[in-house]
Amino acid sequence: MSLNLLLPFFSTAIMLVFTVYVLQRYFVRRAPHFLFWGVGLAMFGAGSFAEAYLSLAWNKWVFFSWYLFGAALNAGFIGHGTLLLLTRRKWVHVVTILLVAGSLYAGYLMLQVMPNLDEAVFTTDKPISEQYGSKVLEKGQTPPAGAQTITTNYRGEQVTVVRGLLPLGSPVRLTTPFFNIYGLLTLVGGAIWSAYLFWRKRVLPNRVIGNVLIAAGALSIGFASTLTRLGYGQLLYLGELIAAILMFAGFLMAARPQPSEEPQPARVALATE
Amino acid sequence: MDKVNRQEHLSALRQKSHMPQRSVFFEKIIPILLVVLGMIMAGLVVFAAGVILGIVRF
Repeated sequence: MSLNLLLPFFSTAIMLVFTVYVLQRYFVRRAPHFLFWGVGLAMFGAGSFAEAYLSLAWNKWVFFSWYLFGAALNAGFIGHGTLLLLTRRKWVHVVTILLVAGSLYAGYLMLQVMPNLDEAVFTTDKPISEQYGSKVLEKGQTPPAGAQTITTNYRGEQVTVVRGLLPLGSPVRLTTPFFNIYGLLTLVGGAIWSAYLFWRKRVLPNRVIGNVLIAAGALSIGFASTLTRLGYGQLLYLGELIAAILMFAGFLMAARPQPSEEPQPARVALATE
Repeated sequence: MDKVNRQEHLSALRQKSHMPQRSVFFEKIIPILLVVLGMIMAGLVVFAAGVILGIVRF
């Protein structure tokens, strides 16, 4: 059994447990940040599961799920949860509306591209992260081993293109950086800021460490996604697994209840008997 | 609980909710980690901005 199959399954399993844990907290406390975290984590898990599935067989709707939820939207939703946790200002509601509207638009663009997928390119011999996007070959550049190329007219010039599932210049691919930037700034930035605040006050060391782990986990997947965009998709699955482990560990550590500074009256009474 | 025991109890609780003093991990490693993580975040944001601006081709 190859790593391409195992790693996404492990990531999916971890994200499933993590998602259930967070959504349980939402149903108990009804705090919106838990809802957005839960939805974002579910998207991450859906993306991992889709990767595992696509290493065995093709299904265009599984690919839809992989790209829209796994590549585009999940970072923005998880990050938005952090923003909701850190601030109660009214402008956050505007950002919420923009995020939801942007997500629906990305979904619409993804639906638009589905009839134009180059399904003939698909192979289970490569991870989906190495074959999802068509890419223009620069002059002098050699295509990756086993890649299919075509020569076509793109933006008024003849170019050689490495064929991928998504056609060249698909508008949905332009939406991904917006969600990823937003997710990076809010999730990673928010975790670093929280860790710094607790560190500066020299309190709650578990929350300092927890937020450092969350930031490191989010950066792990961000870095792996960036390498994927540059054509090095082999590390995406490992990045996802590291992200899942670190973020879940960080969340558990940061959410650990702290002992109260004041002793309970009942315990005081018992201790004097 | 007499006064001494109560003070010891409070001190134990405080140690759990405050960082240990003179800890290399919290005094040196954590701040360095925060800076490094921030720099990596900035780099990734710049890259993503480059994609949006068309500087990084996809």
